[in-house]
Amino acid sequence: MTGMHHMIVHFPVGFWALAVLLVLFGTLGRGRTAEISQAALLPLLLLSLLGALAAIITGFLVWPWEANLHSPLARNHILMSLWSMAVWTMVAVLIWRAGAAAFTGARRWVLVFLALLGGGLFAMSGTLGGHLAGAPTAFSKILGALGWNVYTSFYVPDGVLLALILIGLGCAVLGAIGRHKVIKK
Amino acid sequence: MHDWRIPAILCGLVLATGLAWMTQGMGVIHNDPERNIYIPSRLTMPLQVKVSYNREQIFFRYRWPADQAYVYHDMLRFTDGEWIRHGASRAGPDPDNTYEDRVSMLVDDGGVPEFARYGGYITIGANARFFTDSATPADVASHPHLGNTLGQSDIRKHLPGTRQDIGDWRTVVDADALQAQREAGYFLDLWHWRAGRSNAVGMSDDQWVGEHRHGDAGRGPYTTNWDSDAKQPLWMFDPERSGIHALRWEDVQANRVDFDGIYYLAEAFAIPFDATRDWQDGDVIPRRLLREGAGSRGDIRVHGDARWRDGYWDVTLVRSRDTGMPLDDKMFREQGLYHLGFAVHRNATGSRWHYVSHPFSLGLGRSADIQAVAFEGSEPDWSQAWFEATLFYPGQVNWPLLISQAHAGSADIAEGKPVRPRHSEKQLAYYGVEMEFNEAIIRQWWLTLAAGLLLLAGALAGLWFSFSPTRQGDCP
Repeated sequence: MTGMHHMIVHFPVGFWALAVLLVLFGTLGRGRTAEISQAALLPLLLLSLLGALAAIITGFLVWPWEANLHSPLARNHILMSLWSMAVWTMVAVLIWRAGAAAFTGARRWVLVFLALLGGGLFAMSGTLGGHLAGAPTAFSKILGALGWNVYTSFYVPDGVLLALILIGLGCAVLGAIGRHKVIKK
Repeated sequence: MHDWRIPAILCGLVLATGLAWMTQGMGVIHNDPERNIYIPSRLTMPLQVKVSYNREQIFFRYRWPADQAYVYHDMLRFTDGEWIRHGASRAGPDPDNTYEDRVSMLVDDGGVPEFARYGGYITIGANARFFTDSATPADVASHPHLGNTLGQSDIRKHLPGTRQDIGDWRTVVDADALQAQREAGYFLDLWHWRAGRSNAVGMSDDQWVGEHRHGDAGRGPYTTNWDSDAKQPLWMFDPERSGIHALRWEDVQANRVDFDGIYYLAEAFAIPFDATRDWQDGDVIPRRLLREGAGSRGDIRVHGDARWRDGYWDVTLVRSRDTGMPLDDKMFREQGLYHLGFAVHRNATGSRWHYVSHPFSLGLGRSADIQAVAFEGSEPDWSQAWFEATLFYPGQVNWPLLISQAHAGSADIAEGKPVRPRHSEKQLAYYGVEMEFNEAIIRQWWLTLAAGLLLLAGALAGLWFSFSPTRQGDCP
């Protein structure tokens, strides 16, 4: 299954790399380039998510689950991959919901942030995959310079766990307030 | 109307991302003496090695940095009428500076093939001493071979083939098989230089690893200076020959050492202990009596002076290339290819709190990682370049783990792929530390994964209505 995983991961990686560019062109660009980028994004993201799903499934079959859990690199690879998929799923859903309006106003900055976050996450996932396959890249040195040694597991302390959940809840509550105002309109 | 919720949610996401990044890796790893856990502040260190040989002898020269020299080891301090021991093995550095520095070297000549690929990892079996899950002294002492025959109470280095089930230290193969393994060369030679227990008398300990870590036949360079019935030392300093009755605790605690003075107790200047002497609080007598090694165990000697100077230990050991003891030692022959694994103890630490190396090859007239240089005469000129090795803190990783399903590389090990091209020293050090907290890290990792997904789900819910195609009022 190792070879299959190596082959399939190229799809989400390629699609997401292109998606980062399309989000930037679609939100910050003008004219025909922006229109084409906006129109292409949703089908591209749907394909990327299918590819990501296949990559994650085949990835889980490379090693026994026990080995994945015992390896800091594998743990990091799984975490970054699942977070990448979640971020790009979020981008796809937001664009699907808002259509062309997603690329206007303050909404576009949400897309820009999520695209950069998703791009960073899949870059990390990819470099971790390289380490696991025995072909590390220099990108991990950049991560090290930024404060994360990829040979150590990525986890946060309890207080930050709580903060992340509270921030997520806070966002949802803000949305509920927004819903109320939309209904009133 | 400006939708203030979008920037608010965006700020929340940026804050959460920054928080996660800046605090990653915090909150789990900490020293825990109850679980035999102490993490060294530096996880790797350098070691330089040179090897030379003449017709009869082989010389190994080691050089490594150390902030201080620790030569006091296992001391008895007179306190309120009792002799109190300071310097027994413990987790992490000895707070009283009473644990010695060491350099050790495992040697194989091909009799233990896995050693060339995985080095000292193969010698760490299940429930080794000072692991969090170490076997109890009572269990080991009651074992028919390890306890009753060898008189041991803990699990030390041993080779995989000495157990029927490598995951169970109790399953030692029978005595005939052990003897046959040894005769077939299935053992590792262990050179073991100790700054406290052997260096002062110009010796290195000479040991071997089979089903346990054994001393070679003969007499080692130290013995225990303790009368357990009388609860007092057996020997004391002879003031006529040493000029002192005892060392002083304030010198030991301050780690004040004069390499040309008296900082150890040796047969040459020891007399039977006199309990009637007016002992004073703070008098110190070493709990080890040094002596000339003899027989096979006395094969390895210090060449010249092994001293700590200017922040470095510089130690040269010498041994006959052929000791005539093939059941204890590996012989160094012209055109021979050997494999070595190095370890250093420094900063007053003992037991598993050492730095270890990958396995490296040594060639006598053959191409290898470390090229031994032939010379004529009795004194190597050491003109060759140093071989630079990086040693690493190995943490709690044992051989049963490495060949189990919990190690992603177990299939590679089964195929005989070596560790060096696959894992750097730094990588292994980090993995070793993480293994000491594996369960806690896995739990925290799961929670982090889930918290991140919940954060994104919350943000998506929050943005849902702001991303409605019918929503009006945004400022473009």
